[in-house]
Amino acid sequence: MNQLLKQFGTQSGGSTAWIWQRITGLVLVIALFLHYLFLHFLNGGNVTYGEVSGRLAMPLWKTIDITFLTAALYHSVQGVIMNIHDYVHRAMLRVTLVSITWVVGLILWITGIATVIAIKSL
Amino acid sequence: MAKRTFKIFRFNPETDEKPSYKTYEIDVQPAWTILDVLNEIKWFQDGTLTYRRSCRHGICGSCAMMVNGINNLACELQIATMKKDPIVIDPLPGFEIYKDLAVNMDPFYEALKRVKPWLINNDPAPSRERLQSQEEFALMGNSIACILCAACTSSCPSFWTDGEYLGPAALLKAFRYTFDTRDHGLDQRIEALDNKHGLWRCHKITNCFTACPKNLNPTEAISKLQKRIVEEKL
Ligand code: SF4
Ligand code: FES
Repeated sequence: MNQLLKQFGTQSGGSTAWIWQRITGLVLVIALFLHYLFLHFLNGGNVTYGEVSGRLAMPLWKTIDITFLTAALYHSVQGVIMNIHDYVHRAMLRVTLVSITWVVGLILWITGIATVIAIKSL
Repeated sequence: MAKRTFKIFRFNPETDEKPSYKTYEIDVQPAWTILDVLNEIKWFQDGTLTYRRSCRHGICGSCAMMVNGINNLACELQIATMKKDPIVIDPLPGFEIYKDLAVNMDPFYEALKRVKPWLINNDPAPSRERLQSQEEFALMGNSIACILCAACTSSCPSFWTDGEYLGPAALLKAFRYTFDTRDHGLDQRIEALDNKHGLWRCHKITNCFTACPKNLNPTEAISKLQKRIVEEKL
């Protein structure tokens, strides 16, 4: 049991999480660039609900923002888990903290996706 | 001869409640290293001072310690290069203290053993040596020059928080064999490397690179090893 707990949350040793952390990092660079470009520069920095919801009503933007959300959440959840693995060495506490982080990440992801999908143009 | 002041970490777990620093004023000769100063103290002023040394030529790796906040080899570090006074000498951080500057290196050697630091190749041995071309040899870089002094591992914050972390020295050793074209042992090492206490604990802090008295770059080696393991897994 203790052995099982020790391994829990380590994800095939860590290489899978590590490579996805890099991939989502790359996605974030592109998505953040698009986000800033369209939200803060191209419209003269004039962010309004109507303008944002108008864009988010388009399937292409829904896809871009869902990708953005997924990458950002995966990247941050993995970042927090990385810190937990760095500092928490008591197996039971680590399992609890890693689980809480995943659950919070999942709830945020579902909420975010539901919002993006539901948005219609004003 | 110049008079210099040295503040040296002292702790005897059998008699002292907590560590303290003791200050020594030493007449230093122009070409002296930190090790010369420690010998001067031990042999002529205070025989209770404890530290490790052996070769005095920067090759055995015994005399690594922290001088003015940076890990280094006592026998290579010239006093004349240090302007600041007093010069503060501490044991290698991150290890249990045996006495004064001598630390318990067991976790360092345990980590080293986990990466199987020897050539793994079950092919029948050729009648002469297993040849390598210059290009093949170059793949290992200068990692073969590591003297296992532990200056790098002891400077690594990931090692401070996780005493079971392999650490830069063991990972550099794993790199040295993984990128040795004569070695076939990656599948035997991968469990230790692709592990919670393995490669992925490195956050590229580069303290190891700053600390290494042989100017080796464990951080770069770890990056190459990470890429190699990921390719292996894909
Ligand atoms: S890599 Fe450098 S600092 Fe680390 S053990 Fe080898 S020689 Fe010492
Ligand atoms: S005494 Fe051997 S490396 Fe310093």
